[in-house]
Amino acid sequence: MKKRYLSLLLIFVITLRLSAQQEWIVPAENLSKLSTFAFSDSTRKAGMNLYITNCKSCHGDPGKNNVIKLVPPPVDPASDRMQANTDGGMYFKISQGRMPMPTFKNILSPTDVWVVISYLRSFNPKYAQEVAPKVLTGAMVQNVKIHLNWLKEKDQVQAVVSGTKDKIEQPVAGAEVKLFAKRYFGNLLIDEARNTDAQGQVLFNFPKDLPGDSTGYVQLLARLSDEEAYGESKSETTLQIGVPTYKPPLNEQRAMWNVVQKTPIWLLLSYTFTVLAVWAFIFYVLFQIRAISKSGLSKDQDTID
Amino acid sequence: MSNNTDPINENEAQGNENTRRAFFKKFGLIGAVAATGGAAIYSGYRYEESKPDRDLVKVLTADNRLVEVPRDQVKDVKVDLTRLQKLGREGLKGHRWVMVIDLAKCRNARQCVAACQNAHHLRPYEYHINTLVMQESKSTAPYYMPKTCQHCDNPPCVAVCPVDATFKRQDGIVLIDNERCIGCRFCIAACPYSARMFHWEEPLMAEEDKGKVYNIELNVPQRKGTISKCLFSSDRLREGKLPYCVSACPNGVYYFGDENQDAVTNGTTKETHRLSELLRVNGGYHLMPELGTKPRVYYLPPKNRLFEFVDPREQNKNQEKV
Repeated sequence: MKKRYLSLLLIFVITLRLSAQQEWIVPAENLSKLSTFAFSDSTRKAGMNLYITNCKSCHGDPGKNNVIKLVPPPVDPASDRMQANTDGGMYFKISQGRMPMPTFKNILSPTDVWVVISYLRSFNPKYAQEVAPKVLTGAMVQNVKIHLNWLKEKDQVQAVVSGTKDKIEQPVAGAEVKLFAKRYFGNLLIDEARNTDAQGQVLFNFPKDLPGDSTGYVQLLARLSDEEAYGESKSETTLQIGVPTYKPPLNEQRAMWNVVQKTPIWLLLSYTFTVLAVWAFIFYVLFQIRAISKSGLSKDQDTID
Repeated sequence: MSNNTDPINENEAQGNENTRRAFFKKFGLIGAVAATGGAAIYSGYRYEESKPDRDLVKVLTADNRLVEVPRDQVKDVKVDLTRLQKLGREGLKGHRWVMVIDLAKCRNARQCVAACQNAHHLRPYEYHINTLVMQESKSTAPYYMPKTCQHCDNPPCVAVCPVDATFKRQDGIVLIDNERCIGCRFCIAACPYSARMFHWEEPLMAEEDKGKVYNIELNVPQRKGTISKCLFSSDRLREGKLPYCVSACPNGVYYFGDENQDAVTNGTTKETHRLSELLRVNGGYHLMPELGTKPRVYYLPPKNRLFEFVDPREQNKNQEKV
C-alpha cells in the first residue's frame, strides 16, 4: 500500500515539475524591451537567413509544426504560443536560452536577434511593431567607425572610435569597446572590454604569444558593446601581430602507425635485409644442389669411359 | 604457256569488272545513308524549331535563390565516392583539432550521446561517446566522465590495422574507412580507451540508408561487420561548425578548437578561450598518459561542482518503480 501511495505521489510531483518546465518566465524588466529599428522586408529576409542557420534545426519550418522532439518541445514560431510573447520576451529568450535551447548571446549580436524577431513576427498578421524611442546616451552619433592600429613598442592595439554628430565627424567618448581575435569556431576576447577616452581612443594589451597564421597575421574584430545607442558598429582588420605559426601535418612523421610510404627506416631496412637474406639462402641451396648433381654426372661419365 | 596466262587475264578482267561494280554499289549505299541521315537531322532541327519555348523548371540554389533553368539542362549532382574518400583521407590543412572536457560541469544530461547517435545512425545502446560513472575510491566523490575517441597522435589502433582501413589525417583525426574494413577487430583490442564499437548486427537505419554514397567523414551508411567510432564530426568541422556532441551539450562540458590557433570554443556558451590558459588554470590532463598515445582530448578535473551527484543506477531504479 505504502509503495502505491509513494508512486502516486511521485507521478504527481513529476507532472507538476513538467508543467513547471513548460512555463518560461521572463523577468518583468525585460518584457518591455523594444527594437531600436523598424522591421522591414530587408530585416525579415536577413532574419530568415539567420533563422535557417541557427534555429531551423530545432524549430523547423514556421507554420509547418515540424519541430524536433525535445523536452520541453520547441515551439513553432508561427504558433499563437510563440506570438503571444512580447518583443522583449522573445529577445530575452533567444539571447539567454534555457535547457535545451542554447544561449545565443555569444552567437548573435543584439541587432541579429532583433532581425530574427522581425522574421518571426512576419508570421503574425495581427502584429504591429512598436519601435523604441531613440536613446539619448549615444547623443545621436551616426556612422560609427572603428579604426585599429598596432603600437609596436608597447605591444598594444589602439582602437580609435569616431562618428558623425550634427554632420561633423568627431571622436566618440565613453563608449565600451571589445576587441576580438578571429578563431576557427568563434571570436577570442583580447584583454577586456574598455571605454574610450575623450579622444575616442582606447588601448588593448595584446598577448605576445597569440598564434597568427604562417606569416603572423591575425584577423581582429572590434565592436562597440552598446549597439542600442550606436547601432551595429564593428570593424575588421588584419594585422601582422601574432606569432608566425606553422605546425607540420600530424601524419607527416615516419611511424609504425603511418602508411607504407612513411614506414620507420629501421623497419624498412631490417625487413628488406631479412627478405634478401632468405632469398639468398634459397638460391645458395639451389646452386649447391646443382653443383652436386653436376659433379655426380661427371663422375658417372668417368666410370663409363 | 598461253594456257597459263589466259586464266590470269580473265581473272584480272573479272577483278576489274567486280571493283567497278562494287564501287558503284558502295557509292550508292553511302549516298543513300547520307541522304537519310541528313533528312533525319533536318527533321530533328525542324522539330526543335517548331517547339514552343523550352520547359523551365524552378531550382533553389545553394545560396537560397530561386532560379529558372531549362529542363534539359538540369543534371543530377552525383556524390562521388572516390572524391569523398580522398577528402576524408586528406583532412583539413593547417589545423590540429583538440577537445577539452570539463568534468566539473557534466551532469549526465546525455544530450551529447543522443546527438551523436542521431547523426551517425546508431542505436541507443551503440556508443561513440560513453558517459562513465567514476569513483577513484570509496571515500572520494563520484563524477561523470564522457569518453570519446582520444584521436591519439601515436594511435595503437592504426598501427595494428592490417588493411589500412583506419588511419590518421593531417589534422589529427583518426578515421575508419568501412569500404576497406574487414572486421578483424584488431583495433578494438589495441585501443586502450575502448573507444571503438563493432556492428554485430545490421545497423539501425540499414534500410533507409540503402544506396546512399558512403561518407567516410560521417561513417554513414554504417555497415554490418565493420568498426564504428567517434569521428570528431569531421563533416561538421569542414563546414566550420562545432561537432554534434559539443553543440548539443546543455551544461557547457565540451570545448573544441584548433591547437594551432591556441583557441577552444565552448559548445554551450560559444565563448572562445585560450587553450593553453584553460589547461593551465584548471589543471588539464590526459587519460592514461603513461601509455605514450598522446591523446588529442584533454580533461579538466571535477572540482567546484555546483550540483549534486545522482547515480544513474539509482535513477533507473526509481523510474522502474514508477
